[in-house]
Amino acid sequence: MRRLGDFLLAALAGLCALVSVGILVGLVFVVAQRGAPALSWSFFTEQIRLVGAAGGIFWNLVGTMILLASACLICGPMAIGLALVECVWLRGDRSRRALRTVLYTLNGLPSILFGLFGFIVFVQWLDWGKSWLIGGIVLALGMLPTVSVALIERLKAIPASYVEAAAALGLSRAQIVWAVLLPQAWGGLITGSLLGLARAAGETAPIMFTCTIFAGATWPRGIVESPVLTLPYHIFILAQDSFDPAVGAKLWGAALVLLGLVFFLSLIALPSRLKMHEEANA
Amino acid sequence: MQNRIVAALSLLSLALATNAETLKINGSTTVNLPVAEAAEILRAEQKMEIQVDTQGGSSGGISMLGDGMVQVGMSSKPVSAEDRAKYPNAAIRETHIGEDAVALIVSKDVWEGGVKALTKQQIKDIYESRITNWKAVGGKPQRIAFFNKEPGRGTWEVFVHWVYRSPKAAPQVSFPEVGGNEETRNKVAATRGALSQLSSSWADGKKVFALGLKLEDGTVVHPTTESIATKQYPLSRPLFLLTNGEPAGGAKTLVDFVLGERGQELVKKHGYLRLKDLK
Amino acid sequence: MTRAWSWFFSLVAIGTLALLVGIFVWQSLPVWRHEGWGYLTGTKWFFRQQEFGAWPMIYGSIVVSGVALVLAAPFGMGAAIFTAEYLPRAPRLAVKVLIELLAGVPSVVYGLLGILLLRNWIYDLFAPFDPLSGDTLLTAGVLLAVMILPTVVTLGDDALRAVPAAQRRAARALGLTRAETILHVALPQARRGLGAALLLALGRAFGETIAVFLVVGRQDNNLPERLLSLRPLLESGQTLTSKLGGSETNISYGDPLHWAAIVGLGLILLVLTGALTVIGTAFGRRSDA
Repeated sequence: MRRLGDFLLAALAGLCALVSVGILVGLVFVVAQRGAPALSWSFFTEQIRLVGAAGGIFWNLVGTMILLASACLICGPMAIGLALVECVWLRGDRSRRALRTVLYTLNGLPSILFGLFGFIVFVQWLDWGKSWLIGGIVLALGMLPTVSVALIERLKAIPASYVEAAAALGLSRAQIVWAVLLPQAWGGLITGSLLGLARAAGETAPIMFTCTIFAGATWPRGIVESPVLTLPYHIFILAQDSFDPAVGAKLWGAALVLLGLVFFLSLIALPSRLKMHEEANA
Repeated sequence: MQNRIVAALSLLSLALATNAETLKINGSTTVNLPVAEAAEILRAEQKMEIQVDTQGGSSGGISMLGDGMVQVGMSSKPVSAEDRAKYPNAAIRETHIGEDAVALIVSKDVWEGGVKALTKQQIKDIYESRITNWKAVGGKPQRIAFFNKEPGRGTWEVFVHWVYRSPKAAPQVSFPEVGGNEETRNKVAATRGALSQLSSSWADGKKVFALGLKLEDGTVVHPTTESIATKQYPLSRPLFLLTNGEPAGGAKTLVDFVLGERGQELVKKHGYLRLKDLK
Repeated sequence: MTRAWSWFFSLVAIGTLALLVGIFVWQSLPVWRHEGWGYLTGTKWFFRQQEFGAWPMIYGSIVVSGVALVLAAPFGMGAAIFTAEYLPRAPRLAVKVLIELLAGVPSVVYGLLGILLLRNWIYDLFAPFDPLSGDTLLTAGVLLAVMILPTVVTLGDDALRAVPAAQRRAARALGLTRAETILHVALPQARRGLGAALLLALGRAFGETIAVFLVVGRQDNNLPERLLSLRPLLESGQTLTSKLGGSETNISYGDPLHWAAIVGLGLILLVLTGALTVIGTAFGRRSDA
């Protein structure tokens, strides 16, 4: 009887796992199946024509890349600053906990709130109109918890002996940061950034009010009034507003490319994450 | 050193100058179809920088033009006195580029169930939820699934103007919302007993069907090119390009193109009436 | 120098967040003045008549996230039990990697699958109950369930793994079967972490915008007569996020009261998701040494 219970639980749990993985793999498969016909060299190198029915997504990819690059560059210093403050400069458990609470809360905030924030402050008050830089800022804010936490974990994992040895050699705290902590934590920064970027690449809500339009933008000129085209917004608009059956395959193709981008960013972070996982458990 | 400064300054002014020439357009998804294609042609042939977006529909076009965020607005409804009052610093000028009609579309089961036309009163009753089943207007018993256009859409305002004379007089109702034309068509086609407002050129007679309107004298008018051109079909609406004052610079190039032979062909291609088709 | 720069960048980050909260509070003041607490409890949202009641949207958000959690929790927990308790190390890592990868699928792709596939399935499946269309609170809930499933699995797995192996060995040494060990030793000990996992997944569902926007129907003021009736599941609804992602945000900026009402929705969203996240994190904090 107890053995039956044993078997049942294992079977049920296995079933759940199978269903979970199955649904998720299934939906990727559906996107791949419908989107594959649209993929071709010209899809990647041409711009959209005929409101999405013809042409390709070249400028959408460029725009998304611009946003990701700027988000990464803006987020980096802030994340490093926060991680260092948490691990090195802050005294006392309570302030550290407070900081981490702020980070976790930030992580749970819906991205549309950042979009609204960017809209109010930059598009309206500062009169920038729609600009790629606002997109970068807003996405950077969204990425911040992911990157900061990854960095903090990495810094914590540095053996205390390193720091003690450096201190024993007479290095000041700042010198320890630059000579010991940051070089070791570099991997954490890259990994965290890649994970954050994977999430940011697919975001639509924060960018639709602040930096993207549907057609006509190429390279942004300057900062003010310089929107870009992006992949997620393109998909979002076409999902509601396409007028031509020909758009169908291209729409799925764009979705497939976006999926590919997100998976790619997650996967290249993987080896480093596995290594850190090993070190943490060792 | 001086040469470098001059070079840098000329590059800067070139960048600024070309930035100043970027033509920004925003507005109605209905007008967007021919205008977006016109923009593509102008980009390719005249190397113009044109940015097109459809945020907020016709109202979005008007408000962004009024705020100075775009040079050309696209609207599928006339600019009202209220809209003008909101932007006293902008002299909004409408350029008529074509004509379209708003149809009341239904799903296949409603059409084949016998409902092919409605009176204004029936439409009002449906909108105000006094009639909730198709059998009350001559169809098979089926719940009426009315999809209302989002606020701000030109299509909605044209509809409400006809039924209630002005958006302000329209009662506040709560129906599921649809946004652009494609979403509307897809949702109506996929739902039994569905009804919504849609640009008549999108009612293909295969997935969704355009109802006729029963006028006061009893005649039934369907939205055909003829009835829209002669204004017998009352739900016709002008398509406008809006500018602040007379069109100038890049805006003028665009407006002239759309009013010209090739531009008007684009208007026709997307199912709307050209200016010369109107009587 | 380093210290100064660290503090500088940290304060920039924290300052921006404080600014965000501040702006949401400040810009929504007009509607609080106009409606008072009625803003939260009011059941009608008619912006042309300047009547702003957010309750139908709060209700919609709760229902949709609740459905998502109810659907995702059993499967997610079951899967977490499987990966944490039954799988050897290598396959477990492989499955975890796979699940985390899939957690990154963008919401707009989910939305696409929702409108083009899920919508019609639900419409056909529930046809005997005469739903108005395929865009219902249930559709949004199901879509969200799939979206938060990876979160539940990953965090649940982490929570279970946090229970020391020694506990399991002791239980087995006492003669408990695998199932009994899991049910009576591992799960109870992991319950804080598991609870946190569910709360955090709920928070994520609550804040999801794009996917919900595309399939929830966006019908205002559609509250049932009886609060706990199941009928609304098959009716179109509106959530806080679907309203924010919609057209009113675009057209309302010029009108202070309307804009305040929209920002107010953002503030409510902020407070609710913030609370869920803080409680969820604090709940699971016990396992944090």
